[in-house]
Amino acid sequence: MKQFGKILKFELKGYLRNKIFVGITIFLVVAIAVAMFVPNMIAAFGSDHEDTAASTELPVMLVLAQDSSLSALVRNYFEAAFPDYDVTVAQGTVDDVKAQVISGSAACAFVMNSASSYTYYVNNLSMWDSNTATADAVLQEVYRVNAMVQNGLTPEQAGDIMSVAIESDTMALGKDQMQNYFYTYIMIFALYMVILLYGQMVATNVATEKSSRAMEVLVTSAKPTSMMFGKVLASCIAGFSQLVLVFGSALLFYNLNRAQLSNPIVASIFDMPVELFVYLLVFFVLGFLIYAFLYGAIGSTASKLEDINTSVMPITFLFLIAFMVVMFSMVEGNVDSTLMKVCSYVPFTSPMAMFTRLCMSTVAWYEIVASIGILICSTVGVGVLSAKIYRVGVLLYGMPPKLTTILKTVFKSS
Amino acid sequence: MVLELRNIDKSFGEKSVLKGVSFTAEGGKAFGLLGRNGAGKTTTIRILMNVFPASGGEVLLDGRPIDYDRIGIGYLPEERGMYPKKRIIDQLVYFAELKGMSARDATRSIDSWLERLGMSEHRDRRLDTLSKGNQQKIQLITALAHDPQIVILDEPFSGLDPVNAMLLKDVVKEQIAKGKIVLFSSHQMSYIEEFCDSIAIINAGKVAISGDLHEIKRTYPRDKLVVSTTKPEQIKANFGEACTEREDASLLIRLATPDDKQATMKRLVENYDIDEVKVFEPSLNDIFVEYAGAQV
Repeated sequence: MKQFGKILKFELKGYLRNKIFVGITIFLVVAIAVAMFVPNMIAAFGSDHEDTAASTELPVMLVLAQDSSLSALVRNYFEAAFPDYDVTVAQGTVDDVKAQVISGSAACAFVMNSASSYTYYVNNLSMWDSNTATADAVLQEVYRVNAMVQNGLTPEQAGDIMSVAIESDTMALGKDQMQNYFYTYIMIFALYMVILLYGQMVATNVATEKSSRAMEVLVTSAKPTSMMFGKVLASCIAGFSQLVLVFGSALLFYNLNRAQLSNPIVASIFDMPVELFVYLLVFFVLGFLIYAFLYGAIGSTASKLEDINTSVMPITFLFLIAFMVVMFSMVEGNVDSTLMKVCSYVPFTSPMAMFTRLCMSTVAWYEIVASIGILICSTVGVGVLSAKIYRVGVLLYGMPPKLTTILKTVFKSS
Repeated sequence: MVLELRNIDKSFGEKSVLKGVSFTAEGGKAFGLLGRNGAGKTTTIRILMNVFPASGGEVLLDGRPIDYDRIGIGYLPEERGMYPKKRIIDQLVYFAELKGMSARDATRSIDSWLERLGMSEHRDRRLDTLSKGNQQKIQLITALAHDPQIVILDEPFSGLDPVNAMLLKDVVKEQIAKGKIVLFSSHQMSYIEEFCDSIAIINAGKVAISGDLHEIKRTYPRDKLVVSTTKPEQIKANFGEACTEREDASLLIRLATPDDKQATMKRLVENYDIDEVKVFEPSLNDIFVEYAGAQV
């Protein structure tokens, strides 16, 4: 136990002194800070500028129709529908209008063929150009009002009919998938990144000790279980400190800039319920540990650092499959499929699968307890097994041995 | 203190590496563990250090099974290596702490060892900035800093220059003088001969011969004489086939029986110009080649 503490301390110090580790953490925090503060800064710097520009220099939107009363009517409606444009009735032919759009003196133009048909001219069609959709809605309304007036209704009556609003309220009694989707997505992704990154780090760490022969002294000084658990827990603590720092600073920056960041998606990420946060921690820690143990065990079987990448491939695949299953189920919105239900009990997939179901669906308490119980037992089991593999693996040099050979040796010696 | 390995067997899977290895090493004396590459020395050492258990047999200290929690063992592995990218003092303290020392005691002991080995100036540097010989001195500190009762040195002299070899010799002699059990493993026979009172030669997983080095030498028949002379021609002519010249230009005379020893010596001294005459004793090298050479 004493040895375990010393190993933990030494390994942790190794992470904190690792320039890449510290560098990545600082980079992430700075990147988040920039992302969170930029809208605020743009608002602060750009405010005067925009005020003067707004009144005089709105982009011009041209409206052209054969019938001048139609063009005036459309202009009136468009003026209300497109507040960001200076809507003007165009003079001349279609070619004149086109020339103006190409030259840039007008941003875009609607050439009305009839009350229900038009051609939209724009120089470069932006990905986010929704002008035609807006125009369609407006023109539809114009057409309907006109039709109603022609059938004997007053324009006011027609207006009332058109503008009736339906009141509705949606109450999600279980989980609101829309709202939870984004933070689930982000957390699953973070879990994926952290496990892959730190798993590799643990494997490399073990293989480095082996290839530098520091292992020769270590195995004679410390118990393999202490070594394995010390290393893995150190990486776990390092990983979590990094996550807490990154997400903590994100939360802090978000709250500092809350006024500017009105995007509902961003808001949904930071308004995670506390209960889910606790589950997140539990699944995160256990998922992290179970994979880190596997990575450590595999690392101990490689003699050279070059062998690591091929040796860890099976685990990385296992993990990738788990990730894909969860991601596809999430995107489909079907997180309670049989596959997901099975996955939420299998120890290697349950951290992601069960957490996703907890976020996006309703899960009975006994299911949660069973899933966490299985995961805890498997984590301890995998930990002990990986310490045994480690003990055998670290003294084998040369070609990485087959997994079956190692397991045979492990079980024989125990 | 007496360390005894009794009938140690070890097999990895189907492969039997050690077959009934037994030997005894005493405190205050150095013990040489010899054998060709792959004979089973390292496996023996690892079992002795409890890295993995033996398949059979026992390791006893003063007649009782060794208690690894109470007995400190220092080990200088043949495959040297520590953390190349870490500060020397950090890793030395770490290794000493793993052996059960407090951080403060470890630092104190390590500083005095660094001083002793002339390495104090490198204390805060990274290990990979040092030369190989100096790295080896640092590694020696991991074996000795926690003042272990049993010291195991695997090829301690390889890679050291004569000055450092001298320094290490002094350190080893000091450890022996403190009454510790010092176990040597080396292929450099001259060092073993210089330090070790007892040896064990392992060949193909078995102890081919073990015991007090002088006694082992005595068991050889005393039927050869080594003669140093400035005028070898006469002797060669008179002794004929029984006389051969050795590499160092001295002569080796084979006697018909050991009983002729006294008479032949007298005859040599009285009749020829002799600088020195003595009974031939095999060198450790000769013994090694004889016992470890035959592969089973």
